[in-house]
Amino acid sequence: MPKAFRTAAGFTGIVLLSLVMTAAFFGPFMAPYDPQAFHPASRLEGPSFAHFLGTDQFGRDLLSRLLHGAPSTIFFGLGSTCIGVGVGSVIGVIAGTAGGWIDSVIMRVLDGLLAVPELLFTLLIVTFLGGGMGQAMLAVAVAFTPGMARIARSSVLSIRTREYVLAAIARGEPSHYVVLREVLPNAVGPIIVESSIRVAFAIMIGATLGFLGLGAQPPSTEWGLMVAEARQFMFRNAWTVAVPGVAIALAAMGFNLFGDALRDSLDPRQSQ
Amino acid sequence: MTLGYLVRRLLAVILVLIVVTFAVFAITMILPGNAAVMILGEYGTDEAVAALERRLGLDKSWYIQYFSWVKGILSGDFGQSLRLSLPVADVVGDAFLNSASLAGIALISVTIIAIPLGVLAAINRGTVADLVIGVFSYIGASMPEFVTATLLLLFLAGPALGLLPAGGFVALTESVGGFASHVILPATTLGLILTAHISRQVRSEMSEVLSSDYIRAARLKGLRERRVIRRHALPNSLAPAVAVISLDVGYLLGGIIVVEEIFAWPGLGRLLIYALENRDLPVIQAITLLLATVYALSNLISDIIIAILDPRVRYA
Amino acid sequence: MESTLISSANEQTPVLQVLDYSLSYATKFGALQALKNINLTVEHGQTHGLVGESGSGKSSLALAILRYLPGSATENNGRLLLSGESLRDCTLPQILEIRGRRVSMVFQDPSTSLNPTMRLGDQLSEVFVRHQGLTQQEALEASEAALARTGISRPSEMLRRFPHEASGGEKQRVVIATAFACNPELIIFDEPTTALDILTAKQILELFNQLQGETLISALYISHDLGLVSQVADKVSVLKAGEIVESGPRSEVFGSPREQYTKALLGSLPNPKNWLGATEPPPKAQALISAEAITVEYGRQSRVGQLLSPKPTHRGAQDVDLKVLQGELVGLVGESGSGKSTIAKVLSGLQDFDGVIRFSNKNFVSRSKIDRNYRRNVQIVFQHPDASLNPRQRVHEILSRPLKLYDIVPPEKRAGRVEELLEKVRLPIEFADRFPHQLSGGEKQRVAIARAFAAEPKLVICDEITAALDVSVQASVADLLVKLQQQTGTACLFITHDLNLVRQLAHRVCVMHHGRLVDVFQRGEIESSERNSYTRALMEAVPPHASQVL
Repeated sequence: MPKAFRTAAGFTGIVLLSLVMTAAFFGPFMAPYDPQAFHPASRLEGPSFAHFLGTDQFGRDLLSRLLHGAPSTIFFGLGSTCIGVGVGSVIGVIAGTAGGWIDSVIMRVLDGLLAVPELLFTLLIVTFLGGGMGQAMLAVAVAFTPGMARIARSSVLSIRTREYVLAAIARGEPSHYVVLREVLPNAVGPIIVESSIRVAFAIMIGATLGFLGLGAQPPSTEWGLMVAEARQFMFRNAWTVAVPGVAIALAAMGFNLFGDALRDSLDPRQSQ
Repeated sequence: MTLGYLVRRLLAVILVLIVVTFAVFAITMILPGNAAVMILGEYGTDEAVAALERRLGLDKSWYIQYFSWVKGILSGDFGQSLRLSLPVADVVGDAFLNSASLAGIALISVTIIAIPLGVLAAINRGTVADLVIGVFSYIGASMPEFVTATLLLLFLAGPALGLLPAGGFVALTESVGGFASHVILPATTLGLILTAHISRQVRSEMSEVLSSDYIRAARLKGLRERRVIRRHALPNSLAPAVAVISLDVGYLLGGIIVVEEIFAWPGLGRLLIYALENRDLPVIQAITLLLATVYALSNLISDIIIAILDPRVRYA
Repeated sequence: MESTLISSANEQTPVLQVLDYSLSYATKFGALQALKNINLTVEHGQTHGLVGESGSGKSSLALAILRYLPGSATENNGRLLLSGESLRDCTLPQILEIRGRRVSMVFQDPSTSLNPTMRLGDQLSEVFVRHQGLTQQEALEASEAALARTGISRPSEMLRRFPHEASGGEKQRVVIATAFACNPELIIFDEPTTALDILTAKQILELFNQLQGETLISALYISHDLGLVSQVADKVSVLKAGEIVESGPRSEVFGSPREQYTKALLGSLPNPKNWLGATEPPPKAQALISAEAITVEYGRQSRVGQLLSPKPTHRGAQDVDLKVLQGELVGLVGESGSGKSTIAKVLSGLQDFDGVIRFSNKNFVSRSKIDRNYRRNVQIVFQHPDASLNPRQRVHEILSRPLKLYDIVPPEKRAGRVEELLEKVRLPIEFADRFPHQLSGGEKQRVAIARAFAAEPKLVICDEITAALDVSVQASVADLLVKLQQQTGTACLFITHDLNLVRQLAHRVCVMHHGRLVDVFQRGEIESSERNSYTRALMEAVPPHASQVL
């Protein structure tokens, strides 16, 4: 295991990440109860043997709801980030390798798009696309694209001036070789690191959209939605909001820690 | 830093804003559904929709609509709110002041708290204090605003403690105490997350400064550590700190939307949510443009401050 | 200014005594021994030169003396004595009194060891305030006097400047003035001229000798450059991998070295009297490549760019005429910023230019016109071994690229050719499977050379290929290059700032200054009176070979 992950922070990140990904993949199968099933006799209860994390206003088991909502929450983050990173990186690489006026134009457009705060951008797009998970994911992906494009561009620019790239150009390698085999493999590092941290953001924004009613819709048990629905009951049973809220934070933290550890392990100053 | 530099930066800001107006306008044009349909909903007959379109000027070609909109903005006319039958400028104006006061309080308190925290963490790197600050800022940065807000409400506004009101607004002109008690929770929510971001960044900038050659040289001159920090390390971390804070303004502008909604604070954020739910196009466009302008201007101001702080730029 | 002798010190006690001192660092890979049983003495009024290559531990010794070691450092029982007092027994407040006042340090790179946001005068005066209790005003006056002594022409003006407004030489004078300010007992110089240009370095060296003569200060002069050390030191110690392998008066160490390592170090210094180059081409040989009126202007912008953020243009090269004959090795010499790397980039097709390049009966008037044949026949080797190989490719892939690109050999023969290439550059063929990070600097440079020769070019451009290497490795790489040149008859444009090295290898030498070609001469004509004044200044600034100093 790379050295950077052996620190307490890196290790915590991996542990959290594993927990979260397990929940995302297997959550629905691991849930002890049907997330929609009412247990009228045990409403708004705290943790007990029957219900590890307590119940909500309808007596539904919080743990089961949490596990069922894991895929929506987590895959939302992963999916929207992948799309945003994919499209953004392509744009950034094009800008970085083409240079000249193409680069200038792309940069100006990016600057303009980046002037709009991300959450705002997402809200706008989501409103006009209509609510729902898919639309929300697309909105977040679009909001992420300019930022990722910038990062991809600067990564490519810094690699482009490295001497081994110059050597390839000097000896007459065709441009597609230079870009694909010399530049890209060495430029992906910062992009991957940033993506990991972006997933954390995406999860948070996705939960926020769910909370605002613009993302996941009932009867989904996406975690942001869970907090929204439980708000009016939060003083009667704090667990109804605390459970999904803390889960969101832990998931985001896992990706953040992982991303930081990844950045440290790729940092050339750390090796040797 | 010359007048030419300032002028060019201003031009760049204007250019960016033009692109923003384009983007805002484009979103409303390109995406499915138009305002008339959205307003009338399923009950709109074709004639009603067409009539509304004519009334709103939606039947004209897009560049005419764009230019008339921009022309209006430049003369201070943001149009009429579709829902409230009031000039957008009035509605947005009041909300803007409320948001500004909330954001301002949050930002100022954060600056006072977060920068020293970050500096302390960097100076005491590797100690327990650093670890505690680090963990706190990590957690803070991983919690969406609504989670932080909800937890704060839980602990401080619950019937058990009942310390603070769970939401709402009292104007400063009516009662300072009332204003204060209502602003505490939303400002703290924003503040906690901002503090987490900023202290982390400041810590990392300061650590880099502390490991630089000139700090080593200063220490090897026999200077006492207090002087090294005060006269050598801090001035060199100020500029990056300003840069960090200006980046977080962007985050602030997003977070304030959620916070205002949760705490029923009548600012731009809450107004925006309302406008989005009701498809009140002119209001949406105006708020977006306003927020983007604030962001762009704050970046400009921070660039200028950095230029003033860094003699390499100032005397270039 | 008060007279210089420290009255408190007993003149018989050596200023610095390092006795049986060892130091190791705790790393993830285990304990790293940085210094082993070091014994070193600096007598009063003496300069002790400490010579070592990178990684020898020389900087660690300096930091150990000043008690600026990281937490991961472990020391043994060895003693560090300053005028007889033990430094190790000092508390932190006592150490802070000693630093800057009794022992001070001059660092390698003045651009990074000065605070960029603080005026130079303030950085100098704060030692006066701290150690001599002067007021700010008194300290500034003392600073002005100190700067004047280091040869700064308008000291009061320099006090008000920021570091970025001063040249490398001026900054280093400020650093030196700071070190001398409180009349310390000992000054440690850590590679003070390495980051400076040759001419500036010479000035700083002269300044050092002058100040040392005036103040009779004791100094520990650390450097990897034997030539430099031979000009300043009274006694010399040679450090290898943390151990002192040889120590003694200058004349002994340089004149009759005892240890193998010392002899090897001395031997690898370029000695201009020692001709290593390939056979000279016949006088009427054909010009292989000819560059005429080459001008390079950096920072040209489109009109939109001019509007949005105008940048001044900068001439990298101005009206340069350069010719290389078949089989010739031409040396291109100049300081940093002289334009020699610009010419390298122009000739290898990496830089836009105005002018014309004639090669192989074709004329190329711009970069875009350069064709495949040209690129195959003109190859380049760069300076930094860490950056010249793609870290994600194995050696055999790096070497087979040119073979593949130009179809030098059919696919089934490529592996064999890679092995031949490795043998030619004296690397074991097992290296073919390695990644660059598994090779040392010298080994990476050899791979880069092999890659250049793989395409069977007519001209190889070497852009400072030995500058980033250790002294002992430099000689072998230069030697290798010449052997290859001899074997293949390839011409070579050898770019360097080291005049001694160029005189060992080049048939013809070109000198560049501020983007212009100021002098061209055959190697035998270097001492002729026709030489340009800049060439002569360069000649004088180059440290003589160590053996010639005595």
